[in-house]
This record gives sequence, C-alpha cells and structure tokens, in this order.
Amino acid sequence: MLKRILLGAISAAALALPALAQDAYVVGLTGALTGPPSSTYAPAVDALRIYIDGVNARGGVNGKKITLLLEDDGAQPSKAAANAKKLITQDKAVLLLNASLSSTYAPVIAESKAAGVPLLFASSVCPQSVYPPADPLQFCTTGFAANYDSQATLDFVKASAKGPVKIGFSAMAIPLSRGEIDYAEELSKKMGMTPVDKEVIPPPTADYTPFATKLKDAGPTWVYSWAPWVTQVRTLEALRKLGWQDDYIAWGHLETESELVRLKDGKFYTVNSNSLFQEGLPIQKEIEDAAKKAGSKYPAATMAEGWIAGMVIEAALKGAGWPADAAKLRTAMENLKVDTKGLRGGPIEWTKNNHFRTKLYYRVYKWDGSKIARVQDWKSYDVK
Amino acid sequence: MQLFVNIVVLASIYALIACGYVLIYRVSRVLNLAHGELMMLGAYAVLATASLFSGHPVMALVAAVVLSLVVGVLVYVFLMRKMTGEMVLAAILTTVALGILIRGIVVLVWSAQQQYPAQALGLPNPSLVLPGGGHISMWSAVLVGTNVFVYTALLGFLRFGRWGMRMRAAGQNPLLAAQRGINLHGVYALAWSLSTLTGALAGILMALDSGLTATMPVIGLKAFPAALVGGLDSLVGALVGALIVAAAEVLLIYYVDPLLSDVVPFLVLVAMLIVRPWGLFGTREELDRV
Repeated sequence: MLKRILLGAISAAALALPALAQDAYVVGLTGALTGPPSSTYAPAVDALRIYIDGVNARGGVNGKKITLLLEDDGAQPSKAAANAKKLITQDKAVLLLNASLSSTYAPVIAESKAAGVPLLFASSVCPQSVYPPADPLQFCTTGFAANYDSQATLDFVKASAKGPVKIGFSAMAIPLSRGEIDYAEELSKKMGMTPVDKEVIPPPTADYTPFATKLKDAGPTWVYSWAPWVTQVRTLEALRKLGWQDDYIAWGHLETESELVRLKDGKFYTVNSNSLFQEGLPIQKEIEDAAKKAGSKYPAATMAEGWIAGMVIEAALKGAGWPADAAKLRTAMENLKVDTKGLRGGPIEWTKNNHFRTKLYYRVYKWDGSKIARVQDWKSYDVK
Repeated sequence: MQLFVNIVVLASIYALIACGYVLIYRVSRVLNLAHGELMMLGAYAVLATASLFSGHPVMALVAAVVLSLVVGVLVYVFLMRKMTGEMVLAAILTTVALGILIRGIVVLVWSAQQQYPAQALGLPNPSLVLPGGGHISMWSAVLVGTNVFVYTALLGFLRFGRWGMRMRAAGQNPLLAAQRGINLHGVYALAWSLSTLTGALAGILMALDSGLTATMPVIGLKAFPAALVGGLDSLVGALVGALIVAAAEVLLIYYVDPLLSDVVPFLVLVAMLIVRPWGLFGTREELDRV
C-alpha cells in the first residue's frame, strides 16, 4: 500500500514539475557544488540562489518567477554533460549556467550549441570565446580574465617598483593557470622586467617549501601568482617562512578579504575586479543582510560574483519578455548593460560582438598595518 | 642546508602517513585506502575541538588526537570487523567506500573552503632559523619531532610491549595466534586506532603549518609509494622509503623541474617494483599473498 502511495506521489510530482516550470523562467546551472574545487564556486552559487530568491520574493521578472535549478557536477566533465542535457531537454531551461572547472566547458558548450540555448559562465573563468568576436551563444560575468589580469598586474608592478624588476612566477599545474603565467612571463620581458623563475606547483602539495626555496634562490624582487587561492597563498607563506621579504602580488579571489586580515602582510598585494566589502557600499550591505537572512554558511564577502550573475540574469530575462525562449533571451543578452552598483568598477556591457565586457576595471588592495587599504583605485582596460 | 631541511620535513610527512598503512597491513593484510581521508578527518576534528575548548589550544589538540583514536576503533568495530574472514579485496573495497563517505561528510560539515586550525586555536607559526642558515616553521619542526617520537614509540611497543607482540603474532599467523588465546579483534582494533592516530597526527600538524582543504587525502595517497618502497609490512622500511621518495622529490624540484614532484613518488615506486617488488625491508613471502 505504502509503495503505491509513494509511486503515486512521485508520478504526480513528475507531472506537476514541468507544469510549474511553464509558468516560470527556468534557469539551469551545472556547477562544482561539492568536491575539492567547490570552494571557488559554491559561495557564488549560493549567492546566486539568494539573489534569485529575492527577485521571486519581489514578484519575479515581468510578473513571472524564476526557477533556478542547481545540479552538482563535482567538477567532473561527464557529470556536467549529463546535467546540461537534463537541464535543457528535460527541464526546458531557457538559460544554462556553468559554475565549474574549465574541464567541464567542452561538454556543456556542446549541449548548449546542440539546443541553441545561451550559456552563461558565472564564477567560472571566462573562456576566450566570449571575447570579441564572441561566440553567439556564450556569455560571461566572472571577474577574472586571462591576459587582461596579468596586464593589469604587471602594469601595477612596473608603476610601483622603484628600480629594475626581477620577477618570479607561481602557477598551479592546471592548464589555465600555467597558460596565464606563461603569458605573464612573456609580457614581463616586453615590459622590461627580468623573469627569474617560474614554479608550476601540482595540486595538492604536502609542502610548498621546496618550490619556494627554488623561487627564493632565484632572487626575485617581486613574485606574481595567478592560480587558485591555495597555491597563491601557500607559496607566499612558504616564501615568508624562508625569510624572503620582498613584494608578492596575486589575483584577488573570493577569499581575499579574510585572508588579507589573517596574513597582515604589508607586502602582499591583491589585484581585484570586485570591490572588497570593507568599502561598505550599500549593495554590499544588502548582500550581507540577504546572506544573513538566508542563513548562508558562506561569508557575504565571498558572494559578489554570484550576486553580479544574478543581476545580469534578472536584466536579461527582463529584456527577453514573457514568454521567453532561448532565441529571445540571446537577443536580449546581446544588447545588455547592467549597473553593478560599485561591486565592479563599471557596468557589465554586452554587445553582439562582445559577450565579456567592453571595459575591465581593476583595483589593488593590501594590508597597511591596521586595515585593508586600497593602493590603486579602479584602472580601466578596453576589451578589443 | 635548506634542501636538507626540506627533505627532512617532507620525509617526516610521508613517514608519519606511511606508518599508518604499514600498521594495518602488517597486522591484517588489509590495504587501507581510506587512510588519507582518516588523516583529513583528524585535521578537521581540530576545528571542532577548537570551538569546543575555546581558549584552551592544548586541550583542543589533545581532544582531537583522542577523537582520532576513537574513530579508528569505531571504524574497526562497525565496519572492518564485518570483513573479517572475507576476501582481502572486499575489505579493501570497503575502505574505498569509507573514504568516499568521509570526503562527503567533511564537505557537508565544514565546506570545501580553506580552513586554518592554527588561527582557530590562536597558535602562531614562527619561522625558526637553524644553524647553517636553513629555515623551518615551528609546526614543521614539531612534525619532525613527532615523527621521531612516533617511530621510536611504535618500534619499542612492537618489540617489547605485550600488545605489540600480540600484534606481530597476529600478523604472522592469525590462526595460531587465536589458538594461543590472543584476542584478534582486540589486536585489529588496536592497529586501526594506532593507524588512524598517526595519520591524524600528520594531518593535524600539516594543517597547523599551512592550512587545511578537502584535498588532503591526495597527499595521503602520495605517501603510499613511500610505504611500498620500504616494504608494506616494515615500519623501518616506511621510514627509509619516505626518505628516498622525499629526497628524490625535493632534489628534482630544485634541479630539474617542479612539475616532476607529482610523478616522482610513483616513478620511484615503479623502479622499486621492477628491482625488488617486495620493497627494501619487506618480507618476500608477502608478495605471493598480495
């Protein structure tokens, strides 16, 4: 008897779900919600969920709710492919999101292309295909960007250095990080710096000191790292343990704010595309309140990426109208401008040809002895 | 001098982890593939005890160590005991499942974000300058000292201790040992608890030194070749194997290519399997059993 009741309930739920979905915008996300890399993505996805819940609480978009479906891929390409297929074919998502490692991109892109559904990279690194000339179906809101980040970092190093720069590099042994550090190494030569060493460190590593020893012995006056936070910060800490006291600059990931406070290192700089929460912007207060109300286990300071993605999705759905399909949504996304209210240095602006940003903005922060200090305000770079 | 220090620290990490593999294998012939996860669990336990014993770091650390001993016993009593008499392969697969379970629990409870137990305990980690100009962090130095203490204590315990002798007897011939009145379940539970304890000590000290993430089990796996190179049933072998693997890794990072560090332990292992498959100090007859 119980079995029949359960089967009946499951069947009813299965029939009801698509019906519910038809009356709402369905947005599907495949992301690394669990597994080792999830520390980069899970806070952003949680922020996105909280943002969309807020939109729905305010009455939705064009009078319709947004149904955000979250599927965990554990950063595994095969799971990401299955998730994307399910979200598109079964759940009829009009927009697909990826918040996972770059190794999941290919299968998700393939599903997106096969169905003609737009794909938004939110908190996962922007692929080259969103830069001009952009792929018609791919878009990206994520703050960090290959090549531009290194350009901004090395510009800051050059402007800050008092004499000739001998620069060392640290990367994680993953394609994205290695590729960016290779690019930075070449760029540093063109900018008149002397690259002295490049350490590509496998994840995970029991002890970073052997790598730091080689880096230190090369005698750099600056070290630059563009890698997942764990590699960036453990290399720095290993260098400090070895007595190296020069300048270290790294990409400002989600963890930046708490880590700058923890380390209290006056020669550790982070290059950021998102404002740190110590700026005390009204929108940051809004995020803090929403995170607290939702009972999120992640600090509000790690939520800017997901919040920005939420703002962009809301604007895109609004532009697509109701009922929205993939084609209408794509057209809306190709002509989009979203004010980030200070979370970034400027708006997120997409055109038919540019699904990334028309301008990138970077700030540099460090610990000044008593608090986090801004050492360089927004500096913009045109995306061509 | 710094290279020497780096080798000693890395060898101590590998040795402390490897002795956990050896303890269980030597007594029960089971390869514990959840050892890395149990090590991680011990490190995360510090986060739990740090909030429980706020302001008392020593008590928090002692509680975490005791907790890891208890976890080892519980793993045996509620899981591995059921595998007694089954095929060794079934027991090994059970440890794989245990590892997956622990990884899931850790992410659910503590999330996958980087954690800093030393910060939670309010403990510093100053850099110490050694004679000759080498540097070592305080927690790395503690890890080296702990490794020396653990191996000395374990070797003494197995050689002279009543339960140590029982463990050796159970490892050599469980049937005969049981017939002589040795409580095999007690011996196996002791082996699991000691193995979990040594793994947890490694995990705790690494986490105190440089932080903690859910990727720690992979480090546990990297220490496995050290145990195999030395001989899977020899504690001295684990120590020597760890030293060989660590020296190869540190020297290749410095003189050849840092990327080799990921494959070096396994290259050393392959070389050893070709030349002496039972390891440097392992028992030759064990090879047939494996």
